[in-house]
This record gives sequence, C-alpha cells and structure tokens, in this order.
Amino acid sequence: MSFTALKPSDTRNVPSPPPLWHRRFWLLSFGVALVFSLGQTGFFREELVNYGGVALIGRVFGAALHPDLSLSFLRLTLDATLVTLAYAVCGTAFSLIFGSLLALPASQIFWKTVFRHDASSRRARVCWLTVRTLLAIPRGIHEFLWGLIFINILGLDPISAILAITIPFGSIVAKVYSETLDETSPVVFNALLNSGAKPFPALFYALIPQAIPDLVSYAFYRFECAIRAAAVLGVIGVGGLGYQILLSLQSLKYQELWTLFFALMVLSGGADLWSSVLRKRLTQEQSDSASIRFLVRGSILLAIVLLPVSLGYVQPDFGRIFSERTGRLIISITDQAFPPRYEPGQTGYMLALSMKTLAMSLLAMVFASFGGMVFAFFAARNLLLPGGIMIPEKASLWQRFSGRLVWVVSRMILLFTRAIPAPIWALICLFVLFPGILPGAIALGLYNFGILGRLMAEVVEHLDPRPLNALKHQGASGWQVFFYGVLPSAMPRFLAYSLYRWEVCLRATVIVGLVGAGGLGRLLTEQLSSFDYRGLGVTLAYFIALTFFVDLVSAFVRKTWH
Amino acid sequence: MTPIFELKNVCKSFGKVTALDGINLTIMPTERVAIVGPSGAGKTTLLNLLNGSIRPDAGEVRVLGQNLTTLSRKQLRHIQRQIGTVYQQFHLVEPLRVIHNINAGHLGHWSATKALFSLIKPLAVAQAQEALVQVGIPEKLYAQTSHLSGGQKQRVALARVLVQNPQAILADEPISNLDPRRRHEIMDLIRRLVDQTGKTLILNLHSIEFAYTHCHRIIGLRHGRIQFDDVPERISEQHVHELYRLETL
Repeated sequence: MSFTALKPSDTRNVPSPPPLWHRRFWLLSFGVALVFSLGQTGFFREELVNYGGVALIGRVFGAALHPDLSLSFLRLTLDATLVTLAYAVCGTAFSLIFGSLLALPASQIFWKTVFRHDASSRRARVCWLTVRTLLAIPRGIHEFLWGLIFINILGLDPISAILAITIPFGSIVAKVYSETLDETSPVVFNALLNSGAKPFPALFYALIPQAIPDLVSYAFYRFECAIRAAAVLGVIGVGGLGYQILLSLQSLKYQELWTLFFALMVLSGGADLWSSVLRKRLTQEQSDSASIRFLVRGSILLAIVLLPVSLGYVQPDFGRIFSERTGRLIISITDQAFPPRYEPGQTGYMLALSMKTLAMSLLAMVFASFGGMVFAFFAARNLLLPGGIMIPEKASLWQRFSGRLVWVVSRMILLFTRAIPAPIWALICLFVLFPGILPGAIALGLYNFGILGRLMAEVVEHLDPRPLNALKHQGASGWQVFFYGVLPSAMPRFLAYSLYRWEVCLRATVIVGLVGAGGLGRLLTEQLSSFDYRGLGVTLAYFIALTFFVDLVSAFVRKTWH
Repeated sequence: MTPIFELKNVCKSFGKVTALDGINLTIMPTERVAIVGPSGAGKTTLLNLLNGSIRPDAGEVRVLGQNLTTLSRKQLRHIQRQIGTVYQQFHLVEPLRVIHNINAGHLGHWSATKALFSLIKPLAVAQAQEALVQVGIPEKLYAQTSHLSGGQKQRVALARVLVQNPQAILADEPISNLDPRRRHEIMDLIRRLVDQTGKTLILNLHSIEFAYTHCHRIIGLRHGRIQFDDVPERISEQHVHELYRLETL
C-alpha cells in the first residue's frame, strides 16, 4: 500500500480549523480604523493632489543626475556631515551612560533583589512600576520636540542638539537594557546570592556578562538611530546636514540638495552597515573567534575614540546648561506655564486634533509596514541572491543577474527613503499635495518604510534555514518555499515590528507638524515657537496620553494575536 | 559539638504539591551524606532549604546553630557564606573567563569596588590557580568558560566553592550531566577535596551506587519523607527496591 492510497475514510472525523476570534476582531478593527483614518485626511471629499507641482517634482528628481560637485560646496557638505556625525556620537554616548545607570532601577530583577526577603512581591512591583512610568515620559516626547524645547532654553548651540538626542534615547536605552537584564537567565545570579555573595557585585559577575553581547549590539543600533535623529534635528536650525538640506530646498537649489542627500546616504548607510555587521557577529553562536573579537573590540575602541573627537569638532557649550540665564529661563517658563490654560470648550477641538494625529500615525504605519514587508523579501540576502532559498541550485545567468539587480535596487531605495529626514519628505510631498495630514502621513510613511524594510530584511535573513532548505530539497519551487516556509515564519515578527512602528510613528507626528501637517504635532510646534507655554502643557498632556493609549493597544494586540 | 545542619519537622509545599513533609534531620561536621531517591522526591528542595534560598512553610532549619528564619539579612548572608553549592547545570557564567568564575567565590567578602576592579584586572590569581591545581585543570585559568567540556566546567564550579571556603558543600546531582568516566573522576575528586579540607558534604544523587562507595551515610527520600537514614552497610537491597518502587495503581 502506498501512502498516496491513504484517503480519509470518514470525513466527519476531520476537525475543523479553530476559529481565531480575536484575530478576526483585530482585523475588523484594523479595517474600520483604516477607513476612518482615510476619512480624516479628506480622502473621500476634498481635492488632495496639486497637479501643478508634478513638474516641480520632476525637476527635483532630475537634479539627482547633476549634483553640485564644486569644491566649495563639497567642503561645506563635508563639514555638515561631520557635524551630524558628531551630534550622533555625543548623543549616543551620553544616552548610553544615562540609560545604563537608569537600567538597573528600571529592571524587575533589581527590585526583586532589593526586596528579596519580603514575603510578597508587592513592594518590588510598586517600585518597578513607578520607575518605568516615570521613564515613559521623556520617551513619549520625540527628540524633535526636545530639540525645540532646548533651543528655547539654551539657544542654537550644539548642546541643544546633543541633549535632544540624549534625553529620549537615554530613556529608551534604560527601558531596553532593563528588559534585556530581566530576560537574562537569573539562575547563576541566584546561585551566587545563595552562597552569601553581595547583590551588587553578583550582578556584575553573573547577570551583566551574560547580557553583554545584546547590550553592545543594541548600543550600535542606537547609534544608527542617532545618525537619523541628528539629521532630523538639523532641520530646526542646529546645523549639520538636515539644516543644509532645508536651506538648499528652500532656496530651490536642487543640485546642492542632491549632493547633501548623497552625503547623508553615505553617512547613514555606513553607520547602518557597520552596526549590522557588528550586531550579526555579536549574536552569532561562535562569537569568540579571533577575527570576530578583533572586529568587536576594534569597533568599541573606535566608538570610544570618536567621542572626544566629536566633542572637539562641535564644541558644545556645557556651561550653558548650568548658566544663570538658563536658570532664569527655566523659572520664567515654569511661571508662564502654570496654571495651564484649559477652556471648557477646548475638549472637542483637542479630541479632533488627537484623532487627526492618530489617523496620521496609523496611515504612516500601514504605508511603512506594507511597503517594508514587500521590500524585505527583495532586500534579504538569503532569498534572491545566488545561493538563496528562492533561487534554484542551478540558476540561469538571467536568474542570477535579476536577483542581484532586485537586491541592489531595493537596498538603495530603502537607504534613500530612511536617510532623508521626514520633515524634508514632508516638504517634498507639499509640492504635489495640499497641506494636511495626508502629506504628513506619506512623509512619515516613506521615512519609516526605509527603516522598517531594512529591519524586516534582517528578520528574513535570521530565519532558521533548515526547514526552508528541507522544503526546497523535497522539490518545492521558489514560490512554494516562500508561501509555505518564509512568509509564515517571518509574519509574527513583521507584525510585532509593525505595531512597534505605530508607536514610533505616533511620536514622530510632531516632526511633520512643523511643515503644516495637522494634528497635535502642529499645535505643539506652533505653541513652542510662539512661547505659549500655558497652552503647551495641555497639548503635551493630550499627546502623552495618546502615546500611552497607542502603546497599550499595540502591546495588547501583540499579546493576544497568538 | 553543634550540628552543622538541623531540621526539625520541616514542611514545604509549592502550591498543591507537597515537596517535603515533616523532615527531621541532624548532620554533624565532616560527615559525608548522600541523599537518594526517585525524581520528585524532594531532594533539591531539601538542599535549597539548607542553603537558605527557600524558607520552610513549617518547622525549623538551623545552620551552624542558627535558625535561618529569624536571622537578619546580613546574618543570613554571613551564614550562607559558610555553605557552598555545586549544581547539576554547573551554574557558571559562560561568557566570563575561568578566573572570574572562580573569583565569584569571593563575592561574599570582597567589597564592590574590589569585585568590579577584578573584572578588569584579575585579583587573587594565585589562590585561583591553587584551586585549579586542586581540581586538576591548572592550565585553564584564563580559558573562556564556554569552551570547556562538561567535566571541566564541574571542576571550575568546585574550584569556585574551594575559593569560597565554606564549612559545608552541598552538591545537587553534580554528575548527572556527565558521561560515566567523568562521573567517577568527579566523585573521587569531591571526596578527596572534602576529606583534605575537613568539610561537610551533602550530595543529592539520582542513583545510589556512588552513595555506597563515597559516603558515610545514606538518606532515602520518597514523596517528601525520609524512608531510611543509615550507614551504607546497613542499607539492604530491599530498602533500595522500596525507595524506587513504582506506584501501583
């Protein structure tokens, strides 16, 4: 008897697939939210596209072939690039210092150790939750907004840019590091404690060494993000590539624009490459071979050397933080901010703005994740490149060439979209779209598409190759391997990344507010530039409440999806 | 002479599962005691009570004459320094070098600054080296712990306990993760080390053979109760058979 002769004799015994009610619920809610968000943009009523601007867009992109390569402009570009790099290096370094210090009190294991003789875990939980909630506030405010705040207080000094990166990044580092510590196996740590070791040294002997590869690898990921943040911050006037790009765009010098774009792509792409190679080596199984150790140590050493060099290059005026003028300004701003001005009739208006912000973030997230998912497969090294899972063993010359071409082009598109700061994307969108939340959503979507596409490509590259190769060897075609192996294994991570991107997009709505994209972000930037601190407090409260809401929904969906 | 460990009517349960039920036990200094019994008999719970990592639900655990439940945090840590434990899973920090894993045995009395400094420039190197000579792998002082074999890791764990220099060593199935040849070597090593240093040894063993050859006293544990507690010569095959008997339904 062959197995093909096996037939179900009684179909009544075949179980039906389990209903996934929560999934259906979330999908339905997602559909409703999407239609609602499109409605918020005026998609169904108003004229959105300004066809007069299409020619202008053509001119902008046409200039890509003729970037300004004059010596004087190249010199300016180099200086701007170094300034952006220096902001990123200093911001990363300080955020790592603060983040590492805060990571301990933000971790559960710390409080469990402090209160390990308590019968119940209540006190440990209360302390932990308090620290975590406090840490969520600096994180909830985007670095762009921090930048505007620091410019108001400290003026247009590099220190404003560095602090604007340090504060939100520091609290993100604290959160991620504390979670890393909590996920590290505590058995050795507990074993040391039970042999009478002091808790603090035991932490450094047992817990931290085990977590080190993850901690270092995340530090380099933060550096990637800091490069992009530093470029975005340039737009508000602290200098660097973002600032020069804004100047060139506003003075319609598109050839200069492209010189700066290319510089930003080299800088951002270089940082991404360095970080991704290093992170891959750090988390590999055999992470202690001589060459890898050399790469890791060399990178850490280089990173440490970069800090004083960067500080020397931009020379931030640390004295400003503690100067008398700063103190006076903080006091006067606090005086002006209290009591916050809240009129009863304002609620409706604020809620309407919140809805717009929510809609903008959702559309940006949808755009970024769908685009990212498609491009992730094109851009992953292990699918379409020679030797890849979707390429037959004996690929034709054409298959090998086209696979490589698709890979290069998709990587370039991803790099380009994430290197250009979102506010610049928003300005470019305004050439063809009327101001509103749609250009904002598209700008954020494009920018985050580049980031997400790359992260998702990493997910695909890290898939376990064994089951995929097993499918291939049993005779499945490239597409069959894709739908039966690659897609289902990558999907859960894609979903988690997309939901997390939603949180990021919501916070980032403030950065396109500057260019007239509506919602709370626009109000915030208006209030900041008109020094309306009484109104600012109220708007910030709404904004932070909104970020908490989105974080909650996102965490809940991630938890209940499976 | 005060007993090193004394348990009076000790009970411990986890949720609905009773792990230990009315244990009475006295262990004197320099004794070598094997605790044997089937999986789930409560052997590990018993060791965890002895080193103070868990507390009894009822009854009294006395270590070196002190009731563990009434001690302050500092006093408890002081007592815990006198008890070293080795584990089935070795419980070493794999990314660290051997020297640092051994020096972790000092963490009870080293100051925080000294401990942190030692991670950069190792301190107490001579003492760590001596401990490694004792356990037979002196050449591994600066090796990456993750590169060692199972037997070598258990030797490093023993070296860590030697550096801690406790009065008693608790060993929770120290040979279960090793191949038969290594089992013999490690058991002989443990016996030699406690003999030379005059320490007390309490061994959890899944199977009983080594208990006969390496210990003064064998305690049979089943369903959280002591079935027998005697010198090896007086433990009959009938005892052992009863201890490991499968439940008849």
